Amino acid sequence: MRTMIAERKREKRCVVDALVVACTRVCREHVALELSIREFPASEPGQFLELLCRATNAAEPALRAWTDDGFPSLVNSELSTQQPFLRRPFSIADRWSAADDTVRLGVISRTVGAGTRWLEGLKSGDTLSLTGPLGRGFRIPSRETPVVLIGGGVGLPPLLYLTRRLAELGHRDVTAIFGATTRDLLPLRFTGDVSCDGAPAACIEWPGTASFPTIITTDDGTLGLRGRVTDGLSAWHARRSAATRNAVVMACGPDAMLRAVARVTRERGLDCQLCIERNMGCGLGTCLSCVVRVRDAAQPAGWRWALACSEGPVFARDELLDYSA
Amino acid sequence: MAYAFTRVNASTGYVIGWNSARRDQAGPRKKVDNSSPETVTPGRALTAPLRPVMLAVMDVSSDPTPDPRLRVNLGGLDLRNPVLTASGTCGYGPELADLLDYRRLGGFTTKSVTLEERPGNDPQRVVEVRAGLLNAIGLANVGLQRFLVEKLPFIRTMPTVVLVNVAGQRVEDYVAVAAALDEHACIAGIELNVSCPNVADGLSFGTNPVRLRQVVAAVRKELRRAKLVVKLSPNVTDIAELARAAVDGGAQILSLVNTYVGLSIDPDTWRPRLANVTGGLSGPAIKPLALYNVHRVYREVARPAGIPIIGMGGIQNAADAVEFLLAGAAAVAVGTTLFVDPTAPLKIAAGLAEYLTARGLPHVAALTGQLQLGAAENCTPTAHVPS
Ligand SMILES: Cc1cc2nc3c(=O)[nH]c(=O)nc-3n(C[C@H](O)[C@H](O)[C@H](O)COP(=O)(O)OP(=O)(O)OC[C@H]3O[C@@H](n4cnc5c(N)ncnc54)[C@H](O)[C@@H]3O)c2cc1C
Ligand SMILES: Cc1cc2nc3c(=O)[nH]c(=O)nc-3n(C[C@H](O)[C@H](O)[C@H](O)COP(=O)(O)O)c2cc1C
Ligand code: FES
Repeated sequence: MRTMIAERKREKRCVVDALVVACTRVCREHVALELSIREFPASEPGQFLELLCRATNAAEPALRAWTDDGFPSLVNSELSTQQPFLRRPFSIADRWSAADDTVRLGVISRTVGAGTRWLEGLKSGDTLSLTGPLGRGFRIPSRETPVVLIGGGVGLPPLLYLTRRLAELGHRDVTAIFGATTRDLLPLRFTGDVSCDGAPAACIEWPGTASFPTIITTDDGTLGLRGRVTDGLSAWHARRSAATRNAVVMACGPDAMLRAVARVTRERGLDCQLCIERNMGCGLGTCLSCVVRVRDAAQPAGWRWALACSEGPVFARDELLDYSA
Repeated sequence: MAYAFTRVNASTGYVIGWNSARRDQAGPRKKVDNSSPETVTPGRALTAPLRPVMLAVMDVSSDPTPDPRLRVNLGGLDLRNPVLTASGTCGYGPELADLLDYRRLGGFTTKSVTLEERPGNDPQRVVEVRAGLLNAIGLANVGLQRFLVEKLPFIRTMPTVVLVNVAGQRVEDYVAVAAALDEHACIAGIELNVSCPNVADGLSFGTNPVRLRQVVAAVRKELRRAKLVVKLSPNVTDIAELARAAVDGGAQILSLVNTYVGLSIDPDTWRPRLANVTGGLSGPAIKPLALYNVHRVYREVARPAGIPIIGMGGIQNAADAVEFLLAGAAAVAVGTTLFVDPTAPLKIAAGLAEYLTARGLPHVAALTGQLQLGAAENCTPTAHVPS
């Protein structure tokens, strides 16, 4: 019987108001949010949050005080929401416990529209309503398995959280390949020299105790290897002996990049997990908007629609019909 | 005339009910004597400011004690409060079970169930528009057989009134699904979706009075136990005509509105944003349209026939719910807002209780259909201080 959302065991999710500890610019068009919450359910890298990109109480019309000679009236409630109505999905970019025992969540947002512009303007001390943790994250292999993380542009955030987790679990053989069209669209903090020949180097700031060699690629060659992340993967592959190439690749980024990663990993016989983006109306499994085709031998057509928000956003490459051909 | 719900409030002596014969005259009202049981007072003045009720105030862990002022008898369905979820926005139950405390929910409406399983439309299925949502899901659902096997066991455990929404393309389909569902005591009611604008062949039932009456009558004949709710489409010239057809066919409750047909175009590509081209508009954008339809159906059909209305369309908060009740709804449903805040129905119920307290109203049913239509000086909300 196929896996149904209802049958899958799921950590409890919650809707909470988080406190914005900091909102800092990391590079052009990207801000990093540090959020503080008293309690938050267990989460895994690859899972995401739905952020309300407007004031928490925007939907609540303000009620005027009652007067002796009349009734209170609502301040025109028709005008109370001019900002994005639906929440917006964002990967958990990091999670740690603060000294005061609160849960800290990191989010990296690229400003592309009304909702993300609102996020960009948050100040420390503001509140932000979030729902999470949502979806299913990366399946982490055994400690001995080499891991290659491939992130393109705004696909980097979940991989940063993943590196923290991999370090905690004692993984040593981890290589990151992070790319963007150009240097200032990489939401990373650089601490060392970036090699431009595709040699992995310790060059960026990591969350937690992580410290993994990294290959940086840019389409225009403004930083690191000139080319795509798949060129970085080829460079990695070329440097490895046959015995140490048997890696699990975990990738997140734009769809075109994920398709390319799917193709290259299949050609090279590497196991691969993809964290995909879909148009999401709710993130909760109820609006049915975030569909993606997954293979299902039980179906006459050989596939069915899966909900990226609940069965994903991380899928094994070979589950996904549209990333295989 | 028999009321589906009538109760005399001991402290005020008011006769209250969702369908109040004393409101037969919809014309201007004179200022009335507050002590008369004829009066449904719009409330009393308070000196303290009213604040929206926060969920944090409610203790979600303890067993909830329902507020008797919110309890409504909706055409034979006993709801602990008049706030339901709307079909297609809350799945079949398990999807929101960890977020929405069903013990506090007035009622739950499932996603549409059809006789055969339906995969639904290609993406893009949903697009956000100003203050609303345009969707063309294509009635994606598991079909009757899998619903009974996979979904019903959970529904059996849900501590709230459950309505199962049924859609179809032929009268026989509706009848077959409804008859199968009627066997199960955990299903309190069946809501006929005769109005989903996304599936071309389903449209005709909701827009043609003759066929609507026919399908409603055919389903009603099969039902031994479950109450029959008919959900009206707003995509018609005269919704009252369709409401009348549904009532003549045997509808016990009317729900409205379903989504409004809409279109969104990408000015860059000159293509529709939805793969299905058109979609159904929901959310705050449709609230005034929905309110108008609820009020029209209430005055023209529901009130004279003694049929209660579940009002919906863009409800976000208790103030919105009050508007629907005043327009003639006996209960309300929350749809698109659940995508933003799955706990919204509980906040709305709490907000309604607060509203009743602030206004000194004995029961939520005292709001139904109380829209004041007379000249302002004749129907100024009068202060009432309960004895
Ligand atoms: C599971 C998941 C995780 C994500 N994680 C991150 C993250 O960590 N950081 C981040 O910056 N963004 C992330 N996104 C994308 C982010 O959700 C969108 O950029 C955001 O919703 C845009 O909102 P807006 O109101 O600013 O833009 P809108 O005004 O809604 O749209 C502006 C532009 O952004 C595009 N857009 C809108 N929604 C999406 C989407 N879901 N995917 C791709 N493009 C979109 C639109 O097509 C449009 O061109 C994630 C998306 C998903 C589905
Ligand atoms: C994504 C989505 C799916 C829906 N699916 C159904 C459905 O399957 N059956 C149905 O009768 N109504 C369906 N509706 C309509 C809602 O139940 C409701 O009538 C409408 O959205 C108006 O209420 P709202 O503005 O509160 O959402 C759907 C609405 C949305 C937004
Ligand atoms: S985003 Fe709503 S079901 Fe996936």
